[in-house]
Amino acid sequence: MKGLTELILKIGKVDRRWIFVVLAIVVFIPILVPIGMPIRATVTTKVVYDAIENLPPNSNVLVSIEYSPSTKPENHPMTISILRHLFKNNHKVFVTCLWPDGQFMAQDALKQVAEEEFGKVYGEDYVFLGFRPGGEAVVKGIVSNIRIVYTVDVYQTKIDEIPLMDGINNFKDFAFLFTCSAGYPGTVEWVQYAADPTGVPMSSGVTSIQVNEVMPYVQSGQMKGLLAGMPGAAEYEALLGQKGSATSGMDAQSIAHLVIVLFIILGNAAFFIERKRSRKY
Amino acid sequence: MSSTAILGAWIAVFLTFGIFSYLYKDNPFYKMAEHLFVGVSAGYWASIFFWTQIQPGLFGRLWPASEFSADSFWYKIYNGFSFFLPTVFPEGGIDKGHDMHLIYLIPFALGMMMLLSLIPKISWFARWGIAYTVGMAAGLRAYGFLNSNVIGQIKGTAANFADPNLPFWSLTSPSIFNSIVILVGTITGLLYFYFSKEHKGMLGKISKVGIYFLMISFGASFGFAVMGRISLLIGRFVDLIKYSGSQFHHATIWILVIMLIILGYDAYRNRGKNTPVSEDAVQ
Repeated sequence: MKGLTELILKIGKVDRRWIFVVLAIVVFIPILVPIGMPIRATVTTKVVYDAIENLPPNSNVLVSIEYSPSTKPENHPMTISILRHLFKNNHKVFVTCLWPDGQFMAQDALKQVAEEEFGKVYGEDYVFLGFRPGGEAVVKGIVSNIRIVYTVDVYQTKIDEIPLMDGINNFKDFAFLFTCSAGYPGTVEWVQYAADPTGVPMSSGVTSIQVNEVMPYVQSGQMKGLLAGMPGAAEYEALLGQKGSATSGMDAQSIAHLVIVLFIILGNAAFFIERKRSRKY
Repeated sequence: MSSTAILGAWIAVFLTFGIFSYLYKDNPFYKMAEHLFVGVSAGYWASIFFWTQIQPGLFGRLWPASEFSADSFWYKIYNGFSFFLPTVFPEGGIDKGHDMHLIYLIPFALGMMMLLSLIPKISWFARWGIAYTVGMAAGLRAYGFLNSNVIGQIKGTAANFADPNLPFWSLTSPSIFNSIVILVGTITGLLYFYFSKEHKGMLGKISKVGIYFLMISFGASFGFAVMGRISLLIGRFVDLIKYSGSQFHHATIWILVIMLIILGYDAYRNRGKNTPVSEDAVQ
């Protein structure tokens, strides 16, 4: 028992850089040698899937991209899966961005899914409107009159010359909104200035760190489900039956969590043992 | 594989390891990556904002091609700009699908005022632009928060206890139990931040319950934060593994080895000297 106590105290005093090394190893190995842990969709992910699955054919769906390369591992698999789902069900997709870097993330996703996987025609099956600065002001602009905010698309083609934009004047012309967000401006602004005032249903995929902020909107019914971080993306890939980068990262994610929990337990144990000893003497 | 893609991979690997090297201690690789990131981000954002908003949205509404007239005084000013900056002010007006809106001179003037903060003597002009921005943002956000975060949340979480279809027990769907938890958590959490009375007696006990709710919330936030950071680490590792392949000339392996040799040599040269490890690096 004394030996164990001394070991715990020793671990409690270890240079934190060794913990970084251990964490790097436990993340690295499962990426190289996948274990294939089972992935089961949570209720919030299933609700997003069902909301898109139940849309009437040829629905106009607005997809807004609000993330940058810094959160690509979490957000990008969500965008890819959602676009796959929308194009598989032959919906019309309109892509906007509230983040400047989002424009390149969206471009990358559209090239992969719309062009290479589904062979969709630009201007007829999807439109890429691009980035506009202004955060919530842009959202309000889209809600009242999208044609004032966007007079040209990302390729500088006039909106009036794009066939798919016929009849699209404001947010109510969309049947559904999906926003893939990593912060401000993002999901919260879409709920506050678009979905709540108009009643147009929306779902979102967010980074893990945002989940606590956004989840109340799901619980209250202001949003239809939520893709929560990399696990949410992996669950959506499982529902679609098409594995992607999120699924392959989940082994490393799960093992890293176990190791972190272990470190937290050991750290706390060392803290309490030390406190008990200092009181004793 | 194009040479641009290979070069991009080598730069990405170098910057990734440069940032990671801070976990060992502050060093020139980290500094280089950090400064490059800040500089490139600022330049990139400035460029994107100019070409997506200021040029098409502001100048495009002040001098639209649809109303171009070479004889008008207004477009003679434009032609003057066009002489010096033909890329920003192309010949014949800016064709971005706008009509002329001279009211946009007001945001143009406010924007210029904000730039005047760079000149100390007349920097006070910037307050006008800032005052407008703050006022507009406050007005916009007040409505959004009141509508969605107050009214929407109350409407969405309030439960009719007399509803026979509402089950007493369910954790994943609306239930009487969930509604009671939300009610108790909201009231006790709010009372914890009530500082007009000392937290003693009944108020002390209630606010203590509030602390437990807050702790659970912070714990959930911490858990999600860890999950997010691990996801980003996975993303970087996936890229590093990809770039270690022969098509990228083993960029990951070469840069890792070179960086380890340089940092190792530096540590060997400074052995015995008490070089303090950055406190931030071990936090």
